[in-house]
Amino acid sequence: MIEIDQLSKHYKQGKTVVRALDEVSFNIESGEFLAIVGRSGSGKTTMLDSLGLLLRPTSGRIVIDGMETSTLKDDQKARLRGSKIGFIFQEYNLLPTLTAFENVMLPLRYAAKPKGDGEWARALLEEVGLEDRMHHRPDQLSGGQQQRVAIARSLVNRPSVVLGDEPTGAVDTETSAQLAAIMRRMNRQHQVTFVLVTHDLDLAAETDRVIKLKDGKVVSDETTAPAGVAA
Amino acid sequence: MNQIVRNLVRRKLRSFLTISGIVIGIVALTTMGALANNFNALLDGGAKYYAGYVPVGDASSNGVTSGAVLPLAKAAEIQAVPGVARVFPTITVAAKPGDLQVVSLGLPDYISSYDPAENAYSALKTTFASGRALDPSAAGEIVLGSSIATEFNKKVGDSITLPVKPADANPGFLQHSYTVVGILDKTLTAPDTGAFVSLGDAQQLFKDQLPVALQTNLDISLYAAGFDVYGTPGTNLDTLADRINAQVSGVKAQKPSKLVAALVAGGALFTEITMAAALLALVIGGLAVINTMIMAVSERVREIGLKKAIGATTKAVMGEFLLESSFIGLIGGVVGFGLGFAVTTLINATMPPSQGAIFLVTPGLALLCIGFALGLGTVAGIIPAFRASRMDPVAALRSN
Repeated sequence: MIEIDQLSKHYKQGKTVVRALDEVSFNIESGEFLAIVGRSGSGKTTMLDSLGLLLRPTSGRIVIDGMETSTLKDDQKARLRGSKIGFIFQEYNLLPTLTAFENVMLPLRYAAKPKGDGEWARALLEEVGLEDRMHHRPDQLSGGQQQRVAIARSLVNRPSVVLGDEPTGAVDTETSAQLAAIMRRMNRQHQVTFVLVTHDLDLAAETDRVIKLKDGKVVSDETTAPAGVAA
Repeated sequence: MNQIVRNLVRRKLRSFLTISGIVIGIVALTTMGALANNFNALLDGGAKYYAGYVPVGDASSNGVTSGAVLPLAKAAEIQAVPGVARVFPTITVAAKPGDLQVVSLGLPDYISSYDPAENAYSALKTTFASGRALDPSAAGEIVLGSSIATEFNKKVGDSITLPVKPADANPGFLQHSYTVVGILDKTLTAPDTGAFVSLGDAQQLFKDQLPVALQTNLDISLYAAGFDVYGTPGTNLDTLADRINAQVSGVKAQKPSKLVAALVAGGALFTEITMAAALLALVIGGLAVINTMIMAVSERVREIGLKKAIGATTKAVMGEFLLESSFIGLIGGVVGFGLGFAVTTLINATMPPSQGAIFLVTPGLALLCIGFALGLGTVAGIIPAFRASRMDPVAALRSN
């Protein structure tokens, strides 16, 4: 479970203070498949970076599985990310010199106590339909295939939550639907929480809950189906 | 490790040029170090030799290089000085008179008197590769040092004619034929280029070099060019030199510590000069590594951001870049040392026998070269690795 409590993130731009997040509070239950939507500048990317412990909030708290994160040092946050958080990025961010399999294995290299292994990485690649592309490098894969590798990578260390930053933003509509289906399947199969920041309304429509941000505040929080039960 | 190799292969030309910079530096360090090693081995042997006895010459000499000759009777006077264990008369002449050697990394060939009994006292013990020691009472026998034996291609039982007659020698130039009775093991110092004969034969060689007018009036059997004086166990040789100078007139006894200090200083200076040149080359290689690693960090900003996002700590990111720069250094070190070893071996093989080897590659030098390259790579990687490890993951992930 993730608890976001009075979370604010302010930036200074010259003499102006930009309130990217302004006292945002909500909880995310285990196994949820939710989307955070909003226009550019609404604060959704800042929200995702804060949830991923990549940004230090100006004030407020984020509690992940009972652990208060605002007092953690950078390396403690890195270790927490390695053990509890998976990431999927719009631009895939695969290492070009590694094969698909090696990219999936990458998070295990940095984990103090790896919760996965080569067999698990292979199984994940099979689950995302890349059993015949395991030893291909990113430049030998299509955009959709690269993002499927990234999905497998996000799950290899059995995290509590996967954070997706516009995960379908760089692919066509058909591929986007395939990726959404894969993420939904992973969410259900492995009971992993997915938080997806997206502009893609089709993707948002696939989720169980949609949180809409505007000017750094939550303006709506709609549940369309109970966690893990939606069609 | 696999990823490091792939990263290097990803930028083949840049990696090649960077590693080449290290290779050139390590080749320089290997060759210069081998040169210094060879020179220092010569000096170390000399220092060991000179530390064990008091050289005595006539009063106008410095004790080592001869001034005038000394009557053999002085040996008895020196022997009477308290603390003297044994006195050996010495005479040394050039094996190649008239041979000009302005700059040399070794000693010129020489012929010297030698009493095998001196080996029991000397700090620098010689051993035989083949044959036996001289019979000090026999004429016409010679023992050759390892280099001179190779140069003249002689083995035990062969005869050798010395000294070598210069091309512009006077008609009366005298040579003598000797039978080789022994060949010494390599010492890396003075005995290697020496030919050793009995005192009587050395006196004759000395006389041959004197002007004709002197030759007829001089009974050379009564003279020596100097004396090697050995002390009794526990005797301070510097103090013994002072006592000889005070008690024996017309001689100059040199303090061994002064000779050793001069040799050590000479060796240190040579080492400093050669190593400084090599280090300069290495600094240039190090700058190339820094440049390469800074470029690698700039190119891999998103990778660094990703690694931090998926759990890499500051230490892990820094470690990866340091490992990569160390690996560059290691490759440069191994290849550079290999090339340097090949170059020195090739040059040693092509040196004229009279010069002998001028490079000495030791396991210590190998460790120094490879270890230094590894250290250089690591140190050169510190700044880029630190930059990478301190990178803000959010900015890094969204960089172009």
